Amino acid sequence: MPHSRRAVITGCGMLTPIGSDAATIWDALTQGRSGIARISAFDPSALPCHIAGEIRDFNARKHLDNKVEYEKTIGKSLKLMARTIQLGLIAAKYAMRDAGLQRGSYEPTRFGIVFGSSMIAIEVNDIVAASQAATAAGDGSVDLLRWGDTGIETIEPTWMLKFLPNMAACHISVMYDLQGPSNSITQDDIASLNALGEAYRHIARGQADAFLVGGADSKISLLSMARHQLFLPLSRRNDDPAGACRPFDRDRDGMVLGEGATVLAVEEYESARKRGARILGEIVGFASTFDAKRDGSGLARAIRLALAEAGVAPDELNHVNAHGLGVIDLDRREAQAIRQALGPAADHVPVFAAKSLVGNMGPAAGVTELAFDLLAWQQGHLPPTVNCRWPDPECPVVVHTEGLRPIRKPYVLKIAFTDLGQSVAVVLRRNDS
Amino acid sequence: MNKNRRRVVITGMGAITPLGHSVSTLYEAQINGRSGVDFIRHFDARRFPTTFAAEVKEFDLARFLPDGERYRHCGVNTRFALAAAQQALDDANAHRGIDRTRFGIYLGNGEGQNEFDHLIRAVAIAAGGSPEVDAGRFFQAALRDFNPKREYELEMYTTSGRLAERFELLGPNFSCLTACAASSQAIGEAVELIRHGDADLMLAGGAHSMIHPFGVTGFNRLTALSTRNDAPQKASRPFDLHRDGFVLGEGSGMVVLEELEHARRRGAPIYAEITGYGSTADAYRTTDSPPDGHGAIAAIRWALQDSGLTPEEIGYVNAHGTSTEVNDRVETLAIRETFGPHAYRVAVSSNKSMMGHLIAAAGVVELIISVMTIRRGVIPPTINYETPDPNCDLDYVPNTAREKRVHHVLSNSFGFGGQNVSLIVSRFVE
Repeated sequence: MPHSRRAVITGCGMLTPIGSDAATIWDALTQGRSGIARISAFDPSALPCHIAGEIRDFNARKHLDNKVEYEKTIGKSLKLMARTIQLGLIAAKYAMRDAGLQRGSYEPTRFGIVFGSSMIAIEVNDIVAASQAATAAGDGSVDLLRWGDTGIETIEPTWMLKFLPNMAACHISVMYDLQGPSNSITQDDIASLNALGEAYRHIARGQADAFLVGGADSKISLLSMARHQLFLPLSRRNDDPAGACRPFDRDRDGMVLGEGATVLAVEEYESARKRGARILGEIVGFASTFDAKRDGSGLARAIRLALAEAGVAPDELNHVNAHGLGVIDLDRREAQAIRQALGPAADHVPVFAAKSLVGNMGPAAGVTELAFDLLAWQQGHLPPTVNCRWPDPECPVVVHTEGLRPIRKPYVLKIAFTDLGQSVAVVLRRNDS
Repeated sequence: MNKNRRRVVITGMGAITPLGHSVSTLYEAQINGRSGVDFIRHFDARRFPTTFAAEVKEFDLARFLPDGERYRHCGVNTRFALAAAQQALDDANAHRGIDRTRFGIYLGNGEGQNEFDHLIRAVAIAAGGSPEVDAGRFFQAALRDFNPKREYELEMYTTSGRLAERFELLGPNFSCLTACAASSQAIGEAVELIRHGDADLMLAGGAHSMIHPFGVTGFNRLTALSTRNDAPQKASRPFDLHRDGFVLGEGSGMVVLEELEHARRRGAPIYAEITGYGSTADAYRTTDSPPDGHGAIAAIRWALQDSGLTPEEIGYVNAHGTSTEVNDRVETLAIRETFGPHAYRVAVSSNKSMMGHLIAAAGVVELIISVMTIRRGVIPPTINYETPDPNCDLDYVPNTAREKRVHHVLSNSFGFGGQNVSLIVSRFVE
């Protein structure tokens, strides 16, 4: 279906384990400098997996300018925000700055937000006193009467607001007066690409002229980390953090968690052009599907649908930006999907996977990895995928592993999926094509 | 309104609510003014500031899915959702003979619930007598006591995944959580996916339960809940002067949305048509509505514009009506502002007076009640309406249902965080 209204990306803000500005991130991507290391936020010794992609020096307050009234105001609310939400807020600030958008320079009712999110775990230190009250009998029992009598009152009145998954979108909309549609997609690894697709559809049908689209995540808190270590297939390569996440490599042994946020400014093409915005890329295809058989056929269908919407043949793709978790069966599923959808073109369209450097950033992963494509386009080169040293013959794709590869073709395909089968594909066109 | 766009109709409905486990029992309870509120039985809430809620009673997934036992590790939200979805798909006769790749899902879904006892014990053990948790001791306790399968199923993406897997929904797969607006937003966005051609059918709706120790604790600390512990069934009193907060409910509602020609071709029952959707943000504060109601006003105007209807054509406003001081005042203002003089003629009522607030699932269940109102010609009342509030001066259909032929219903949902969604559902005419 042809759209009269086109959606372009005009700005990008990133907070990642390999840097929070374009130059540092590009340097890490080209040098293969990993952001994955032993966890420093707490002692991980008691966990099976000790490593993650952390943002070590993140302090939201330092990113806010007290001379700017609305930044000063939001700064007073930081205690209401879990780390995930703070990361999202600050990435939004840099996206707005990168896009050259200031409060007052746009019509607030025509500017919306769609954010990628997931369950944000509570911070256990917020409920220590209440937990001590509930277990005061000392016999191992948890007593709700005691919790009610003396526990509840020890909890901060605004406690619940710190962890609501829609609060990143909420605080960002308050900070920038975004009164258009507001949504929070809560599907973890596919959330931010589904969010991008939804914003793209909104702009096409004319419901808004601009959106902030992003995702934020930190599972590096005590409860979240404990929970996810129980059920995620995490790498056990604790002695080799930089080599732990190995997308499509035959020696891969699991994923590594990462934290961070990326926010994109997405605008309707004509209005972006009129205000003289720098255009980083255009969204030209999107599809969301379900892979019921969990064999990649559903993901392949998403890829074909997105390419068809874009009117792009597999040969026109410069590369595929993969989900690439480094998980044995999931990488195989993904590679087979790419092969199935691209056909013979899969022999020469290279695959790029960024998680080996930053880990799996969950709801932030899709847009962060897509933002790496925007950098690659600006620089004119595709960086290598690290740790794919011995390509797995059961992953029938060509992973780009060595050196900088000149960008030759105008389109890129970005994909993501969940273990259950939710699949998403986005096709982007380079700005100058 | 674009006359050429694809029309989207409702061809199936299902509901698991505090007022019954089917659409018909829910609606009967609503028009009979029956309250589903009582003291909390899910856990011992006797010493909580609020001791009551509108719980789903005697729910057994096996009554809907013979192999319901398979889903024992799932959060109660997912189990409610499976049952409501099964009903909706039965109702729409949508299990077979449909291209499943054109059938998607969009949920407004909550989270599963942490196992309270295990978590509290782990925190207490790990803190010892100190004010901070020791990481190593916490991890040891958590890894020992938490159930990995259960923890996995608490993740928010699993609900739309489990439903897609169970009912072979191979099309677009979305799930959102915009607090109390979530399932209305899911329906609105699902309608847009069908209009655009991304799918021909969408299972849309929501599921949520916050009736657990953390949920009640959190809302109590925010002072959002009614504390009328001496008269729980009188506690949810939207638009009444003496309202003192909302009452938690729980449950799930699901609708099958279908492109009109597709529904016709396969001879599906057509219950109503979704004609309008508007979605905006207040950009004001995290829990407060702006006193001028600008976000709610914009959402209502947008939905009207999308449907091509004038306010005079709306026969019933199914209000968000939470029974909090601010919501009911600002929502009344928004209806006055958008409807003009017709605001005083249109019937407005709040289903929450009887079933409490189903949070993420509220919007879809209220939309289902709106569809039933169009079909049956009886508007559910706002119960517990005793003392008029000068700030809330509309016709709230007090205490007794009203027979009235209604063609178009406006259903509002406004979420914590300032998301506003309005939907318009219309009697289906060729």
